[in-house]
Amino acid sequence: MKARLLPVADVLALVDLLRQRGYEVMAPFRGRGRDTFFDAVTDANRDQIQLHLPNPYYPPKRYVLPHIERLLRIHSAGGNWQIEPVYDDHKRALFGLRSCDVAGIWHLDRFYLGREFRDPYYARRRRNLFLVNLVCTDPERDISDECFCVCADTGPAARDHFDLQLMDLGDGELLAVAGTAAGEALFGEPLFRPATAAHVEKRHTILADVRKRFKTTTSWFSATVRYVSQGTIPDATWEAIGNRCLECGGCTYVCPACTCFTVSDRPVGPGEVERVRIWDACALGGFTRMAGGHNPRRAVHDRRNRRFFRKLAHYFIQRELSVACMGCGRCAAVCHGDVGMPSVVEMIRRESAAVDRLEPLKP
Amino acid sequence: MSAAADNIYLPKLAVLDRVVDEIREVRTFFWHFEDPAEQRQFRLFRPGQFAQVSLFGTGEFPASLPPSPTETETFFTVKKVGSCTAALHALKPGDRFGVRGPYGNGFPMDNYRDKNLVFVAGGIGLIPLRSCIIYALAHRQHYRRIQVFYGAKSPRDLMYLATLRDWEQGAGVEFFLTVDRGDAGWSGNVGVVGNLFKKPGVNVPVTDTVAFVCGPPVMFRFVIKDLQTLGFADGQIVSTLERYMKCGVGKCGHCCIGVAYVCTDGPVFTYEQIKQLGEDI
Repeated sequence: MKARLLPVADVLALVDLLRQRGYEVMAPFRGRGRDTFFDAVTDANRDQIQLHLPNPYYPPKRYVLPHIERLLRIHSAGGNWQIEPVYDDHKRALFGLRSCDVAGIWHLDRFYLGREFRDPYYARRRRNLFLVNLVCTDPERDISDECFCVCADTGPAARDHFDLQLMDLGDGELLAVAGTAAGEALFGEPLFRPATAAHVEKRHTILADVRKRFKTTTSWFSATVRYVSQGTIPDATWEAIGNRCLECGGCTYVCPACTCFTVSDRPVGPGEVERVRIWDACALGGFTRMAGGHNPRRAVHDRRNRRFFRKLAHYFIQRELSVACMGCGRCAAVCHGDVGMPSVVEMIRRESAAVDRLEPLKP
Repeated sequence: MSAAADNIYLPKLAVLDRVVDEIREVRTFFWHFEDPAEQRQFRLFRPGQFAQVSLFGTGEFPASLPPSPTETETFFTVKKVGSCTAALHALKPGDRFGVRGPYGNGFPMDNYRDKNLVFVAGGIGLIPLRSCIIYALAHRQHYRRIQVFYGAKSPRDLMYLATLRDWEQGAGVEFFLTVDRGDAGWSGNVGVVGNLFKKPGVNVPVTDTVAFVCGPPVMFRFVIKDLQTLGFADGQIVSTLERYMKCGVGKCGHCCIGVAYVCTDGPVFTYEQIKQLGEDI
């Protein structure tokens, strides 16, 4: 039996253990209102760590791709320039990471570390990251009205890509599973006790129940992926989606799988410049505007089309072996125009099905 | 590999050697890398590729590579349109800036062996095509007929004058020139570049031919129509796309259209592919 047990009362001991091992531990905390956010665990706030609380809107993506990240420090020195990359080699552990966000980081791995060019900044942050996944089991506190990981096949329990997974069995104990050698190594600590077959059976029972406790949100990806890939979605549908987009960029800001960034040079002192990258959003009008003013993608519905095409076209799914939507529901929660992923998928499916006329094959 | 060597965003220092005025707001910048090893490595580029040019404190922009790898000098020809290009225009010989690349697919010149090559350039669209033309002429035995059609707004908007004169002298190339509006000293063709195809004495081969088209969006649309009228299939027409780009290496997302990242899957596409990408030129 590879699974272990960890008493809920000892969760903080696990956090302390990670801190002792040199990790800066980031965990979700409750704000003053109903908001939650990831923050660094300190001696002062460690007692406020909670297992069950709504997933923060601001995704943990920033620990591999910060909202604003320094790339280069450039000094001018006697008519010449010195360019130094600025790397973050900090060891970090994300504690209480939900399964959708585990899948999000894996998607970013595929994108930033895959193909011809590897992103060196992402690679260093990722190499030093330890992921403690927490399975969503509490239908009231863990699962929001917008969650649809069951449709995106990323949750409620991640199957892989975490170092350690914890799941609340409801009787004061957590079932712990290791996903990597680094996670496995923690099991040498006396904190963990061996689990029995009955515990694992209980895990199955709880998950089977939790899957039925999701709220009304569904996202019928399969039909939509086909319509997007075929290019058979009526223009009027894209226009209807575009008309509801307020171009705030909120959906990309909270998305755990969006990858786009812009790069900017900023002065930081006499003769010294920093080159930084900043999250960018295809929803924004200037995203494709070139110097001189030519913008090949002017209309808002073209930009909405872009975001959903990039996330749902079969070509990109095959290229990254991962759909760029984790079912976290954040875009649906923040969108004022109700054109988050589940709504858009539903609009496309409904309106494309009405005009979907496949030619019969000739014998 | 050292930490610096595997950083895809790290520009390498280049020294500006000299600047040549081409036309209004367009200059050619001759440069070399400070590190000779970098220079040797860079010179393995293919026609149609591009590089990211860094002006420290201002930013980076993608620039076509007008030289052919068969030439010895490295240079950019750049129009002043925004803050980065303006910062490049402000540099003096001896000043340093950054270059990284080469990036992109480039034109598959080997696939075009034993074909006729028809180049159609409008205005500064000659910049990326210059590389292919010079390359094709340097490997003249591999290609059949080579035609160059170049159109500019006025005689004052003609670039690479010395090179144009070489081509006019007919060293293995049929060269046709036109301007939209002539002036007092102009005795050549007047009209849009596509009109040249129908001129008496001009015979554009269509079978076994690749047509390279680069120019402003309006010119591009009309030339495509003219070529289709001549009998060109969309797959025989190639061009290079320009997009806003930040990284050049398929990460920043700005140049992603349809299923392609212009920086890594392009910038060279056939017109057939461009139509499928489904966005304005």
